[in-house]
Amino acid sequence: MTDLRTNFAGIELRNPVLLASGTCGYGEELAPFLDLSRLGGIVTKTITPEPRAGNAPPRIVETAAGMLNSIGLQNPGLQGFIVDKWPYLAALDTKIIVNIAAPTAALHAEMAARLDDVEGIAGIEVNISSPNMKDGGMLFGCSPTASNEVIAAVRAATRLPVIAKLTPNVTDIAAIARAVVDGGADGIAMINTLLGMAVDWRTRKPILGNITGGLSGPAIKPVALALLWKVHQAVDVPIMGLGGITSAEDALEFLVTGATAVQVGTATFIEPGGAADIVAGIESHCAAAGISRVGELVGTLGV
Amino acid sequence: MNEPSPPAIDVQVRVVATTEVAEAFFQTRLQVPDTTIRPGQFVQLRPRSQQSVYPFLRIPLSVAAVDVQQQTIDVLYEQVGPKTTALRHIAAGDEVGFLGPLGNHFPMPDPGADPVAVPVLVGGGIGVPPLIYFGTSLRSHGHEPILLVGARSANKHLPDRLLEPASADVRRASDDGTLGHAGFVTGLLQKALDEPLSSPIVYTCGPHGMMAAVARLCAEREVPCFASLEEYMACGFGVCVGCVVERANKESLPSPYGHYARVCLDGPIFDARQIVW
Ligand SMILES: Cc1cc2nc3c(=O)[nH]c(=O)nc-3n(C[C@H](O)[C@H](O)[C@H](O)COP(=O)(O)OP(=O)(O)OC[C@H]3O[C@@H](n4cnc5c(N)ncnc54)[C@H](O)[C@@H]3O)c2cc1C
Ligand SMILES: Cc1cc2nc3c(=O)[nH]c(=O)nc-3n(C[C@H](O)[C@H](O)[C@H](O)COP(=O)(O)O)c2cc1C
Ligand code: FES
Repeated sequence: MTDLRTNFAGIELRNPVLLASGTCGYGEELAPFLDLSRLGGIVTKTITPEPRAGNAPPRIVETAAGMLNSIGLQNPGLQGFIVDKWPYLAALDTKIIVNIAAPTAALHAEMAARLDDVEGIAGIEVNISSPNMKDGGMLFGCSPTASNEVIAAVRAATRLPVIAKLTPNVTDIAAIARAVVDGGADGIAMINTLLGMAVDWRTRKPILGNITGGLSGPAIKPVALALLWKVHQAVDVPIMGLGGITSAEDALEFLVTGATAVQVGTATFIEPGGAADIVAGIESHCAAAGISRVGELVGTLGV
Repeated sequence: MNEPSPPAIDVQVRVVATTEVAEAFFQTRLQVPDTTIRPGQFVQLRPRSQQSVYPFLRIPLSVAAVDVQQQTIDVLYEQVGPKTTALRHIAAGDEVGFLGPLGNHFPMPDPGADPVAVPVLVGGGIGVPPLIYFGTSLRSHGHEPILLVGARSANKHLPDRLLEPASADVRRASDDGTLGHAGFVTGLLQKALDEPLSSPIVYTCGPHGMMAAVARLCAEREVPCFASLEEYMACGFGVCVGCVVERANKESLPSPYGHYARVCLDGPIFDARQIVW
């Protein structure tokens, strides 16, 4: 038996496997297919200060070994989340990390302060990386200064652990990582989706209603690993690795490369119960390799 | 709608047989552990092994027939791309990932109404399969549905033997005039609605433009109309919010969060007046 317990920036996780923001809703729709108490935790779909309708369809399309999405942060807003979604989440026997995004640093801070008063939230993940938000998200995450400001504002507004979620769509991700750590981030989650596009040459139209979208799934795993490797060398805070994980082996590759925990995203759409299989697979692979604590693997890549 | 939908299961099932029933149109029969599926519901099949990544997403298909004795269901689909190609090539006896049943179901006409409404089913192309199962179910409940079927041409029309269980009154249209009424199936609907039917209730599934025309015809005549929508899907069970349709009554909703409904979970069947066409 391998000890899978993981401390991530002060959050005590049962195991290092969480569900990624935007791929598990607010938990309820997945429950028929997946025992959420078998996971380390779940990260909610991004919430914004006010409710959002999201982008015009079509919002998704399959691409080689992955998919594009342009959901556009359809969400019930902070108040709607607390009233309608939180009671269900609060009753779950797993850690809940709430993912937030807003158009300004001050509004991020206001959200964090409100969530600080909600009993039972394990941490806040700040989405400074959405390619589908025209008034925030990647707008902040592409600039070290703006990333730093947003994270510092959130850090000052809450006692909860603050995790900055980074975009891969930048020239120097290590610089962004250092900027959010300077701002007080307790941890980093990476990567959000890669900016992508699909085109129908016959109609000469883009396939997505929003023209561009975010690429996810197995296609992005090598990109995620390379960026994780860079960021792991650049900062000392724990990292949640994600991007294309579909199996226990994938998850173990992220751990070895420097992730303290991992998130499963798009894979859940195809195998709704898959994250629990990944937990079981990590345990059996570690046991077979004689590893007594999963944490022993983290950042052990020899180069 | 009337009754709650049965819970979905996530299992591997066996392909019993796949046969070509019209040009590039296939019927795949699956051995399933539970046949409690309501007409209008769909399944998400994964026609590849878990180790492979191609084709990546599952394929949403309506249930076209259920055999409770044999514990099988049929899906009927046109081969249009990678996922439908992968599915048709799965050999009899081999497995396919099965997630379902998903979504809501067609509401039955009110049996207490006087007179009881006459169901008119309007299907086009790949939208015909769910109407076959629904028509069969309507008949077992004592209704006599009229089935209007449109396809591009005669060789794309499903054979009589597949449609007969659904209706004793099948009327066909083809775009190129090679079978039945020459033109769109909406022409047949117009005629049917002009007949002195006691009181029609319309159910439709097919290409977006066809359903929009059906919805318009029904709205003009104040005939109730339920449409089964098909949107590109990733999950099929409500978490990705990718498969949305715009609601018509947006102004009356408390929050913009509800402006778009999920076809997979809030649908696929909607009252045609409640969405933007
Ligand atoms: C709830 C639901 C029920 C369905 N039931 C049936 C059915 O009973 N029989 C059947 O033949 N098909 C049905 N479809 C459509 C079917 O899922 C698609 O045709 C299939 O996913 C195409 O996959 P592909 O990889 O073969 O082709 P792709 O390469 O993905 O697509 C080929 C062409 O089909 C179009 N297409 C793709 N997905 C859809 C979609 N969801 N709806 C409409 N057009 C699409 C694409 O725009 C493209 O032009 C249903 C779809 C939904 C959402
Ligand atoms: C449909 C969809 C919706 C998403 N929504 C969000 C979101 O609201 N907030 C966020 O931070 N990330 C969102 N993501 C990004 C994922 O959390 C994840 O970072 C990305 O998909 C890469 O991981 P994967 O390849 O395992 O999916 C979304 C991804 C998908 C596919
Ligand atoms: S397909 Fe994911 S919400 Fe409908």
